[in-house]
Amino acid sequence: MKAENVSPEDLQWVCRKCNRPLEAGTVSVEYMGNQFTTELPTCPGCGFVLISESLALGKMAEVEQILEDK
Amino acid sequence: MAHDPTESVCPVCLNRIAAERVASGERVCLVKTCPDHGTFRAVVWNGRPALGEWQRPKTPAILRPVSYETQRGCPFDCGLCHEHRQRSCTVLIEVTRRCNLRCAVCFAGSRPQDVLDPALSEIRNWFQTAWSLAPGSNIQLSGGEPTLRDDLPEIVAVGQAAGFGFVQLNTNGVRLAADGGYVKALKEAGLASVFMQFDGTDDAVNLQLRGRPLADLKRRAIDACADHGIGVVLVPTLVPGVNTDQIGSLLRMAIGLSPAVRGVHFQPISYFGRYPQPANGSARITLPELMAAIERQSAGTFKATDFRPPGCENAWCSFHADYIVLPGGRVQALHPARLFSGCCAPIPAEEGAQRTMAHVSRQWAAPDRRPAGPAPLAVEDPDGVGRSPASGPMRLEDFLDRARTHVFTVSAMAFQDAWTLDLERLRDCCIHVLDPIRGLVPFCAFNLTAADGRALYRR
Repeated sequence: MKAENVSPEDLQWVCRKCNRPLEAGTVSVEYMGNQFTTELPTCPGCGFVLISESLALGKMAEVEQILEDK
Repeated sequence: MAHDPTESVCPVCLNRIAAERVASGERVCLVKTCPDHGTFRAVVWNGRPALGEWQRPKTPAILRPVSYETQRGCPFDCGLCHEHRQRSCTVLIEVTRRCNLRCAVCFAGSRPQDVLDPALSEIRNWFQTAWSLAPGSNIQLSGGEPTLRDDLPEIVAVGQAAGFGFVQLNTNGVRLAADGGYVKALKEAGLASVFMQFDGTDDAVNLQLRGRPLADLKRRAIDACADHGIGVVLVPTLVPGVNTDQIGSLLRMAIGLSPAVRGVHFQPISYFGRYPQPANGSARITLPELMAAIERQSAGTFKATDFRPPGCENAWCSFHADYIVLPGGRVQALHPARLFSGCCAPIPAEEGAQRTMAHVSRQWAAPDRRPAGPAPLAVEDPDGVGRSPASGPMRLEDFLDRARTHVFTVSAMAFQDAWTLDLERLRDCCIHVLDPIRGLVPFCAFNLTAADGRALYRR
């Protein structure tokens, strides 16, 4: 799987609820009625995802700007 | 039949008179009676969504400094006066009154040889005035035909130096098609975007509205802008019976020229300046009729429910929608279909203006980078243009990769003339012409002419 949003450091995180290490997984995200898929560090137990600061301020902010209505 | 009171002017004497928006089914007319010149009736809205559904309420912007105190009241105290409710999102600077065409339709009534151009030093002062009245606005250089000035690149640079980050050129494209060095100089000076007169896909329309064949020339002008990284917006003036049957073919052509062409901005004809029809201004295409025609003539590629009312100007003045153009020419709407479920909470007008300025400067400029690899600028098969079927979510990265270059807007603005002028709408205007003496004058007030051609503001 191509997992450009998942760094080796991300996979050192452990889900507090399930006590399982995160794995790269495909998740769906939705913004202003548009649905996308991307790969994120994900808990294989409960599906909880980790969104890094660089992703939130980078690609996700860029998508938000493109989709923002005037 | 519903009657909604407002104010307008008499098309003969331009005095302010009471008016009513009179609805009969989906058709709304502005009806007014001048004690001296009789009753006038002009259609301003015809179709769905109904006028009452097409809303985007705003709380008025606070304008400082205001050039003029209210004396005679709207629309006579422009500059702007205290009654005005929106700041400028775009300031038009008219750099010449000369033109190299003599079109049957011209807001400005420009002529091949008119008066002397203002000096560059004078225009520098205008930019400073514009910055003091409307800091951070987008700029449109207009006229006349601005490209008749050899020093236009210097004017662009002066605008940039005054602080304006987005400078657009309103042009017929004639010189851009012929003079690549000039286009290069404009780009190097900081020109971001060209707002190009583009009325049809064949020369029958150009001959009728512009007096000469221009189709090949317009394509060369678009290519020249693409070569130098200047975004192009195609701007058809829609005249019923002349080019309203080319709405679909224009859009197909424009999609084929994405990403060099950033969008199509339709301008239904208004009866000010010079126009081909009789002065009663009866032949009109209103915004809902245009939305329906776009859907019908594009075979559903663009849907009427894609379009939204503006967050900046009065809702009844415009519509817009954003798309991405996928490889092969299919388009996908960037926003879900519009749903009317009662009205929405008001937004601050200033916030709407800021959002619009950012959106326009991002969207109507050329993309930061040219598409990677061998992908051609034009879609080779215009028959491939259509709406992308719903095919599940895109990968975020694939979406971004495409959207960075191939976003495409479809929009329209309905200008007001002496028959249709609604002062409620005028007070919400955000497209202002810089008048060196008065200050900022809303576009429709600046261009307003009476039935005999007498102008309210334009000198």
